[in-house]
Amino acid sequence: MADNALLAHVLRRLTFSSSNHAVEAAGEIDATELVERLLAAAPVQPDDPELGTDDDYSVLIRWWLNTMANPDAAVHERMVWFWHGHLTSSLDKAEPALMLRQHRLLREHALGNFRELLQAITIDAAMLTWLDGNYSHAWGPNENYAREVMELFALGRGNYSEADVRAGAYLLSGWYVDDENANEVIFDPEDGPQEARDFLGRSAGSVTEVIDAICDHEACAPYIAGKLYEHFVGHPPDDDVRGALAEEFRSSGLDITTLVGAVVRHPSFLEGRMNRPRTPVEFFLAAQAVLETRLEHWVLEPMGQVPFRPPNVAGWPGTARWLTAGAVFTKVQLAYDSSWDTVTIESDDPVSEVLSKANLFEVSDDTRAALDAAIRGIEARRDRSTVLHGLVVSSPEFSIA
Amino acid sequence: MTASFSRRDFLRWASAGAGAATVGATVWQLGHGTSSPAGLAAPDTTAARAAAGSSTTAARRSPRAAASSGEPAPAATGELGDRRLVVIELNGGNDGLSTLVPYGVGAYYDLRTATAVDAENVISLDDEFGFHENLRRLSDRGIAAVQGVGSHTPDGSHFEMLRRWWAGDPDGNVGYDSGFLGRLADAIGDPAAAAVALSIGSGTSPALISRKVSTLALPNADAVGYLTGASSDDAIRSAFQQGFRRLTANSAEGVIGRLRDIGRQTSTFAATLASMRTEGDDAVEYPGSTLGNGLRLAADLVSSDNGVRIVHLPMGSDFDTHEGHLDRHAYLLDELDAAVDAFLGDLDRRGLSDRVLVMTTSEFGRRAGDKGANGLDHGTASTAMMFGPVNAGRYAAHPSLTSLDENDNLVATVGLDSYYATVAEGWFGVPASELFDSAPELIPGLFA
Repeated sequence: MADNALLAHVLRRLTFSSSNHAVEAAGEIDATELVERLLAAAPVQPDDPELGTDDDYSVLIRWWLNTMANPDAAVHERMVWFWHGHLTSSLDKAEPALMLRQHRLLREHALGNFRELLQAITIDAAMLTWLDGNYSHAWGPNENYAREVMELFALGRGNYSEADVRAGAYLLSGWYVDDENANEVIFDPEDGPQEARDFLGRSAGSVTEVIDAICDHEACAPYIAGKLYEHFVGHPPDDDVRGALAEEFRSSGLDITTLVGAVVRHPSFLEGRMNRPRTPVEFFLAAQAVLETRLEHWVLEPMGQVPFRPPNVAGWPGTARWLTAGAVFTKVQLAYDSSWDTVTIESDDPVSEVLSKANLFEVSDDTRAALDAAIRGIEARRDRSTVLHGLVVSSPEFSIA
Repeated sequence: MTASFSRRDFLRWASAGAGAATVGATVWQLGHGTSSPAGLAAPDTTAARAAAGSSTTAARRSPRAAASSGEPAPAATGELGDRRLVVIELNGGNDGLSTLVPYGVGAYYDLRTATAVDAENVISLDDEFGFHENLRRLSDRGIAAVQGVGSHTPDGSHFEMLRRWWAGDPDGNVGYDSGFLGRLADAIGDPAAAAVALSIGSGTSPALISRKVSTLALPNADAVGYLTGASSDDAIRSAFQQGFRRLTANSAEGVIGRLRDIGRQTSTFAATLASMRTEGDDAVEYPGSTLGNGLRLAADLVSSDNGVRIVHLPMGSDFDTHEGHLDRHAYLLDELDAAVDAFLGDLDRRGLSDRVLVMTTSEFGRRAGDKGANGLDHGTASTAMMFGPVNAGRYAAHPSLTSLDENDNLVATVGLDSYYATVAEGWFGVPASELFDSAPELIPGLFA
């Protein structure tokens, strides 16, 4: 008998579909086999959404949520989500068509080479718009992207100087998004750097050389390794683990598949069970699966995590944010409102059935007792289903990734 | 709030965009320690309250503990005990030179060739300085402008400077285990209150991390109806609300225990908030902006006797004017002016004008010069503002426009800890030594 609770853990972390169907689909295999299967799974290939209406924001957000909810979506889809939260851009400044183009870029490179990903996204139209590279001239370069690419995207604070920020801004200038020509990204040499500058301890004269200097910097591989480890395992690595992962990443030439494999095959991945809360997008997709009803994506707004709309260049804040009273308020609203639309459970043991549907195989006695008590005195199966679905989604266990 | 809150209401609220990025003040913090097998620290430990994102477990100092641990804060009595504070965070970095404009200082128009505010668009205070004309309503009411607020060792990162502002740690080297507003709440608040400091429509608010009293964030005003107030003839809603209380009733280990603690706290707060809402009358019209909606709720919160002493309102990440500075900044000042003016008018009507102080914070100002571009990069010192029962005027020395630092930035004349400490001591009577390790000097003259 497979350990359903452990399989559920793997599915919660490596996919977005943690319904009971997913555990059943995993079949009689052990957790390490399931990890390999999800690593090797082919990326899902969604057709483009139909943009061009006055509802493009919603169409785009819904489209990605549906892609994540695809039962075939696995590690690749998680990595698209990871990179979006790491190499951020937002609908707040970049229009939906540009965000979709960037999203395609992330899908292409999600498990590819980090250097190629960073080169590509540096001159991506949505990124140029979001971090003000668009129309930055060498005679008055905008420092926004130069700073954030080092501080947040690749190196971390303390690994560059203000002089590097200024030199980087100069070297990254000259690019613009031609909004009269299908938003094509164009480099105008007259507005770009006219000479090489010292940047991160070497001479650089172009965007390519700037990104190479960043990717070759000793802080880059450990920085990315630490971020990825935290995403999958639930807490930052200790220094030894970070160092070993960074070495493997570096010696692979910054191959992302190599790094992801090393992280999720590390023993701490299976050990890190129930050690962090679900983020709103994870919670939303899990709730949608167990409630078996289409949830309106606008609830993600008050929950604090809307795809394509990170709150700022640093992406969504860490897991502590979802362990708050404010988060409880929004989750309870979602659970209660949506429970009216869910299916009717016909079983004589509806508590077990709803828990199993929610992939909760190790709930506390207190939770089970509370669920049993809640339906005592409620006779109609329809009403029992409403109360049970609402409470299971509101339970502490359901809030954990 | 006893009426059922309908899905339709929620939709309307959500589509109005009231709270762009919401969820949760930092009540508990996840630890990264290895002390717990589940990877979670217990809620009462120092590590559990450590600021999120800290990369070190090096000793975090607590001025209160250092000063005299265990002694209760001096009870604020009488008038002091009735006072409230509203803090508006101008996220992104507000340009001081476009807020309080040095229109009579020649160097200003040399530094800003493309982004200067015309002298004719300034409400002059004297020969040198005046407020941006879009602060007209607040200027008429009286603004106390504290000039040159920032850090003496500034950093160009939004996030580093936000951390310092949240903690009240201008140089980022003390390493407090709490936020400034959280410590202030500890000093003035009732530990039995459901919330002493409250953030409305905010994301995580490390500024509110406290050690003794409760602090909370509310995603929207109507959330409470889900957890309290079901009538006994509404079987499903009653079963849901009772069931939620049972799910969270008992304490436990690990992350489950943490979630139950938070669930209980949320239920308690919902019940308290349900009893304190003054049902909205429309005597005062607020603008429909996020800030206007937040201040409308803040007016309810500060006008009833519920233990809430501090309301924290992030305005949004819009002040980061790398591009199109002049128009965007003018627009944002107008939004601020309209919302705060409505709030102060509401307080007048409620007879509370002398009890509620409003202050602004912002992580930094903008670069002194624009190099001919239409936007402004990250800067350092900026002008902070206070409204309400405070003496209008200019305070502290304005930074020189000719002696800039090595990065062409303004040099701060007042540490952000001095700005905070002046409010803590001048408004609430809490000595700076109780809140800061940095021994900040107070800015004289702000309070009667």
